[in-house]
Amino acid sequence: MIEASSPAARAPRRVPAFFTALLTRRTWAELLYALVGLPQGVFGFVFVVVTTSLSLGLIVTFVGLPLLAASGLVARWIGWQWREGTNAFLGWDTPAPRRFRSGRGLFGWLGACLVDGTAWRARIYLLLKLPLGIASFVTAVVCYVDGLGFLTYGIWYRWLPCTTDDGVCHRAATLWGGYYVDSAPRILWVAAVGLLLLLVGPWAVRLVLFVDRVAVGALLGPSWNATRVEELEQTRAHAVDDAAATLRRIERDLHDGTQARLVALAMNVGLAKEKLAEGADPADAAELLDRAHRTAKEAITEVRDLARGIHPAVLDAGLDTALTTLAAQSAVPVRLTTRLTARATPAIETIAYFCAAELVTNVAKHSGAISAALDARTAGGRLRLQVSDDGSGGAQVGAGTGLSGLHERVRAVDGMLTVHSPVGGPTVVTVDLPLQSGAS
Amino acid sequence: MRVMIAEDSAILRDGLTQLLVDRGHEVAAAVADGDALRAAVAADPPDVCVVDIRMPPSFTDEGLRAAIALRREHPDVGVLVFSQYVETRYAAELLAGSTRGVGYLLKDRVADVREFVEALARVAAGGTALDPEVVAQLLHASRRVDALAALTPREREVLSAMAEGRSNAGIAAALVVSERAVEKHVASILVKLGLPPSDTDNRRVLAVLRYLES
Repeated sequence: MIEASSPAARAPRRVPAFFTALLTRRTWAELLYALVGLPQGVFGFVFVVVTTSLSLGLIVTFVGLPLLAASGLVARWIGWQWREGTNAFLGWDTPAPRRFRSGRGLFGWLGACLVDGTAWRARIYLLLKLPLGIASFVTAVVCYVDGLGFLTYGIWYRWLPCTTDDGVCHRAATLWGGYYVDSAPRILWVAAVGLLLLLVGPWAVRLVLFVDRVAVGALLGPSWNATRVEELEQTRAHAVDDAAATLRRIERDLHDGTQARLVALAMNVGLAKEKLAEGADPADAAELLDRAHRTAKEAITEVRDLARGIHPAVLDAGLDTALTTLAAQSAVPVRLTTRLTARATPAIETIAYFCAAELVTNVAKHSGAISAALDARTAGGRLRLQVSDDGSGGAQVGAGTGLSGLHERVRAVDGMLTVHSPVGGPTVVTVDLPLQSGAS
Repeated sequence: MRVMIAEDSAILRDGLTQLLVDRGHEVAAAVADGDALRAAVAADPPDVCVVDIRMPPSFTDEGLRAAIALRREHPDVGVLVFSQYVETRYAAELLAGSTRGVGYLLKDRVADVREFVEALARVAAGGTALDPEVVAQLLHASRRVDALAALTPREREVLSAMAEGRSNAGIAAALVVSERAVEKHVASILVKLGLPPSDTDNRRVLAVLRYLES
């Protein structure tokens, strides 16, 4: 392949990509792929039509079904190779489909082959490759061959055969009968059209290949189900880890904080009791009781915060009531707007609440914002939560701000968390949740 | 005082009863849900009720609903809402309309028995008792952030104490300053916030709350 990408990269930025596309490696790779598309398509189409009709024709004999099964595996293999090829050669990023899993014995293998969705989808792609290949081939030929021909017309038109329709010998191409392209302005016109075709070529081919790319993604990649299973496996693992980590944290808080305080409290009260029983100075006992009193009050506050951290009781009364308090307790002034016309399930409301709590805390901790806004609304079966601030921006999922944890928690219920935070601000974090988990 | 208590936790209900009886007050009824309280009040109105927010049957805001109903049906009965958490929305609902004979305290406050009984007496007498946490949340939730910024730190402290329902004498004692100084601060605050000066404690609280809510 022509290594033309580096001059293009070094070209001055002022030249628009439209003009430099012809010089990039990608364009040449796509041109080659577009041209190969035609034989590929013919081969794929013929292969599927022949093997399928042959096996269906032979289905009454014992050869039919095995042939259908085997040709499915071959179609699968071809699809796999083509997909790998586009990934390596064109830089597409279609993930691999599930590997073939055979059943036990000949009939198991046969059955697995016949119901293998990947094989059937590969067959569909092989059939579809014919129109796709024709389209890409024709586009490439029209743009590049005609473009090149038109551009160089001024050189080669002299060798055209003599046309004598009007009695004079014209060595020129004829347009619309009697319009001969043999004068300088007309030749320039043709050259201009050729140049335009050459410039448009890379983009026209790319457009056609885009359709191909979509087809490859849908038919040669993993099926929707497989993708979904993988996603569910991931989010389930995160949810399990998250729950375990939360329990561990609660246990530690109870053990290190509350339990220690209660022990101290019991100790101080016990000591005071002893002092009073011994008939010692009541002032000593009073001091011990005073300390116990303080410890008890601290323990109350701690348990309250802990309980609220596990599940704010007010959520049972509604998300908007809970968010009102959240906004009022924030260190940075938060303007709250809610339009909650439908109620989400408790699990979703809890996730929404803790997302809001964490995001508002993030604003106070990291953004340096003067004010923030919290908006919660329901529409079309979704709950949307948006926290925006006028701070310094630059927030990222995975930058250690707890955003990645939120992202995982939101994903576990098929929600989405998006962060828009250019450096310099402002930051807008949107959490989109279904009203019911597992409703999709 | 004649007091009625609605609290679903038996240990707290008995503790409160004990505490009040010890101090020479009469506990006319101690019930476990809002409906029972409303029935008891209707039968023989007390001076003041202590109401937990989270009670059966739904364990959300029954107590608050009962408190709001009581304030409507029996304006002369003081209502002290007593809860594990302070919710801004609940405070706003409870205080909507009037601040006569109403209170909203965290359960923690019972640990300081004397202050708690004083607050209860204030509510029974038609005054106001708001938890500092309630006031802090209302101050925070207020949209008048700019005007509040014009107050000096000392004036903010006085404003919070005013909103809690304390009298000038009470504020002076709490902040350890002279009553004269408190009067000056209060006058300055009312001018800065553009509120009409008023003499009774209730109207003062109401003015401040209206200001914060608006």
